[in-house]
Amino acid sequence: MDTQKQTKRLLDAVLFREIWKAMKVTFKHMLHRPMTFQYPREKRTIPDAHRGALGLLRYDNGQERCVGCDLCEAACPSRCIKVISEEDKSLPLQRYATEFYIDITKCVFCGYCVEACPVNALAMTKMYEYSTHDKRTLLFDKQRLYEIGEQHLEDAKKYLYAHNQEHNDEESRAYRYHFPQPIGKTEGSDS
Amino acid sequence: MGLKPVTTPDTEAATIALNIDGETVTAKEGVSLYDVISSMGKIVPAMCYHYTFDPFGSCGMCLVLQEGKKSPVRSCTAKATEGMVIRTDGEDLFAARKKAVEKHLSVHPLDCPVCDADGHCELQDMAFQHQVTNLANAKQKNIPEDTRSLVLDFNMNRCIACGECINICKDVQRIDALQFMKKGGFTQVVAKGDHALDCEFCGDCLAVCPVGAITNKFSKYVYKPWQLRKTTTTCNYCGDGCQLYVETKDTEVVRVTSPLSWKNKWGDRGDTINGHGGLCVRGRFGFQFIDSKERLKEPFIRKETGLAPTPWIEALDTTADRLKDIKSRYGSDAIAGLITARCTNEELYVFQRFMRAVLGTNNLDSSARYGHMNFVRAVHHALGINRTMNSSADVTKAKAILVVGANVTETNPVASLRVKAAIGTYNASVIVVDSMQTNLAKLASHPLMVKPGTEGAFVKGLVKSVVEQDLIDPDPAAQAPEALAALKAAAQAVSIEAVAAETGIPVETIQTVARIFAEASCAVILCGEGIVRQPGGYNHTLSLVDLAWVTGKLTKPGCGINTFTEEGNEQGAVDMGVAPEFLPGPVPYAQDEARQTFSEAWDTTLPDAQSGKSLVEIFEDCRAGKIKALYLVGENPLATLPKSFGVEEALSQLELLICQDPFLTETAHYAHVVFPACTFAEKDGTVTNQEGMVQFVRPALDPLGESALDWHIMVGLANGMGHSLPYETTQDIQADIRKVLPGYYNLGQPRPVAADPTAYLRNGYAESVGARYANGRGQESGRPYGLKLIQLIYHSGKLSTKASGLMDISPNTGTLRMSLEECERLGLAEGGRVRVTSDHGSLELSVQADVSVLPGTCAFPEHFNEPPVKDLVRVVVDPMTRVPYFKSTRVTIEKI
Repeated sequence: MDTQKQTKRLLDAVLFREIWKAMKVTFKHMLHRPMTFQYPREKRTIPDAHRGALGLLRYDNGQERCVGCDLCEAACPSRCIKVISEEDKSLPLQRYATEFYIDITKCVFCGYCVEACPVNALAMTKMYEYSTHDKRTLLFDKQRLYEIGEQHLEDAKKYLYAHNQEHNDEESRAYRYHFPQPIGKTEGSDS
Repeated sequence: MGLKPVTTPDTEAATIALNIDGETVTAKEGVSLYDVISSMGKIVPAMCYHYTFDPFGSCGMCLVLQEGKKSPVRSCTAKATEGMVIRTDGEDLFAARKKAVEKHLSVHPLDCPVCDADGHCELQDMAFQHQVTNLANAKQKNIPEDTRSLVLDFNMNRCIACGECINICKDVQRIDALQFMKKGGFTQVVAKGDHALDCEFCGDCLAVCPVGAITNKFSKYVYKPWQLRKTTTTCNYCGDGCQLYVETKDTEVVRVTSPLSWKNKWGDRGDTINGHGGLCVRGRFGFQFIDSKERLKEPFIRKETGLAPTPWIEALDTTADRLKDIKSRYGSDAIAGLITARCTNEELYVFQRFMRAVLGTNNLDSSARYGHMNFVRAVHHALGINRTMNSSADVTKAKAILVVGANVTETNPVASLRVKAAIGTYNASVIVVDSMQTNLAKLASHPLMVKPGTEGAFVKGLVKSVVEQDLIDPDPAAQAPEALAALKAAAQAVSIEAVAAETGIPVETIQTVARIFAEASCAVILCGEGIVRQPGGYNHTLSLVDLAWVTGKLTKPGCGINTFTEEGNEQGAVDMGVAPEFLPGPVPYAQDEARQTFSEAWDTTLPDAQSGKSLVEIFEDCRAGKIKALYLVGENPLATLPKSFGVEEALSQLELLICQDPFLTETAHYAHVVFPACTFAEKDGTVTNQEGMVQFVRPALDPLGESALDWHIMVGLANGMGHSLPYETTQDIQADIRKVLPGYYNLGQPRPVAADPTAYLRNGYAESVGARYANGRGQESGRPYGLKLIQLIYHSGKLSTKASGLMDISPNTGTLRMSLEECERLGLAEGGRVRVTSDHGSLELSVQADVSVLPGTCAFPEHFNEPPVKDLVRVVVDPMTRVPYFKSTRVTIEKI
């Protein structure tokens, strides 16, 4: 072993050079803005196209958009959607979903159901905080889905816009179709 | 349109040759070009075409190019002619067809997501296939939905005016309940006269509708076709044995569909002689009983407080112990069993083996005893066969059809279509003899409305007329001259004038129809409940045999005698030997070799030859206290038989009454044990239809709750009694049936039967025939009206009253049906009250005018017991076959 190397090792030991080296990183970061978010006190800005929890939407007059057509159920690759539909006896021709379930534990957040929906009743929101102690609450039923839709209406609109489901922001709450088509209205004003 | 394929048996069409896409094909002259193209296996799209009726030519999709013509032609309405050169494919044709789709779509609402036909829609398929993505001049019809009908909703926005519904109703059903009507600027399909649809509700229009214009009210908006699991099974409501698809979603039955559909549109019209694949109202709309809330879900045993739910093990154990106890104390003959003919062949087989081999009794019977047994016993005795002789094809092609006492359109609606086709397509002479103005009588060439209960007398009159007019076929004369002489002598006792007076049919008419029947080259006899379920049913069936024999219509191919069965598997019940006089086969129980064979096959000794009680005797013995235990499988005698028969007394005498039924029946209120059984939709097995075809029943659902298959329960009881039956699956039972009845299944084809009257005619015919014809008319009752318990098309037995759909269509109105004339004569308005009195009681009822009831007759549906009209009737028992007759009586009617 040559003397030069031995001297270096001796000096390192005497001057605690490794400590200084480590502290250098610490001091450097003392002057730096923090990189992490202090979740849950701070929250990240989420892009509009984010695929979060699903919500069901209503028309402006409060009517449920969903017509229970089962297309989301058919489109779902993980088979987590279950729709039970019926005729609305009070409104002839109106089909609606009596029950609507999304098993969010199974959901793969692909967004196919939103694309399949002919009335834009489904949208994804920026909501992701639904951890729970009771797994059973992760089977979202119709009421829960409408609650999510109401609470995150703006995000839902933005989602539909971002995913090109609507032409512009103005129309983002307009629907592709309205069932049943109102009597006296022509096809042109519908689309 | 004159495009009917030439399928009439007498005329053979000329053969022509034409060139299609470079291939030379031969075809029958007069056939539509579309049929020729599709017979090559080429599929040309067509939305208004269906093979069961004449081409209509409204959709404009079936375009082909014919050499020498500039524009494409519609192949469905074009006749195939010699030397045609046809091209069926190409860019230009694709564009022309695409234009046709666009035309339809431009006035079609794009409400696919809510439409029930979504995913099962021809217009959708065509739009996809022809890549229609843009519609220039789309407009909406905005027609409100027609929801007036009880069964079908008509959404005319979606209609493409293909006319399939109208055509099938007119050409196949021959009901003609639908029509086109110009309303609001659009051609719409409406019920005749634009009223609420009021027809037989067979639903064939729904089946052939290629879009969602006609939808089913009972399953509207609750499904999408792709969610449903389709199970092919056999309908259980009547003996026609229609194939149907039970469509289920999870554990509920959503709808029933038929092989008839716009999807199977290609075929030869001539093939409809074997059935068109459609259903009737019961099959299509009467499915709700399967997953009814009223179904029993667990076994019950009677405790002090009443019927208490009990676990299966305990229920089976207790029952087996009590059966064992009764058997040891009173002997095997103190036990009896009745089974419904709605069970599968396998269950019927296990039932009779359980009764005979495990319980050691021959006291067993099935609901075939209520009438079908008359026919079976008569043809067994006379001809050595056990079922009807003809296939549906024979009926369609017959030149003359004698329909006696069979309201076929009501009892067996799909079988009646064969008679309707014989009338409409093949121009047969149809002679309808009935005491009701039946729907068939309205179409028939010779509708003969006889006085109630005189159908049998009319048949004797026909025999007499044949003898008198010397219309006797040379064959029977050569075959058995002594028998013929005896018949001629016997016929002397009958006077046509007396028959005319009794039946109310003029002498000349009797002579005419006798001549028509005898002179037809090919004639069949169809007899139904009006003969076999009326007093003297056995003898009347023998008279029909006489008639067929002397006119030479017995052994000739395509001729014969046929009947219709009411419950799904009455023929199977006979074949499986569920009767004291028959062993499986059926072979007579009294035959020693047969008993020997079966006792070896089952490794047991069978009850002796003379033992065995039939249905009537079982109840008599129950009343006398000789029978202590009764095992009822799906039978409900309390609701079926009149009160005067004393079922109630009989049941209350029993020490052990076991009821095995999907529902808690009236009889079950007397039961000591109630076992929950399954409906046909949960069963696996086979049933035999009235033609002798063995058809599969497949499980569409798992047994509901803890209910169990009938044969599982029987095997469980047998195990409990320490005599295990070697069955674990249905296939085990089938293997056993194959062993004892080789060839029974016969790949689902009816086994050919050969009627041979020789033995019957040579041995004792001459002695017995005189007595049959000597029977004069029955004693006159002082009561002027004939009361008939009739079957309705919307119901079958009591089972259909559990189907909410059928109850919506035809609820129990509790009204007596009378003819308009009678109502007027008695000064009754609709709903007026009358007092009906028979020898056995009296009832107050409302009246309903019914055009199908004749003056001098009144009718009440046999499916309903509220008010208890059935109790007015007394049971008459056939001396020969022990069949109880309780479908008619004489009454007086007074206005109150």
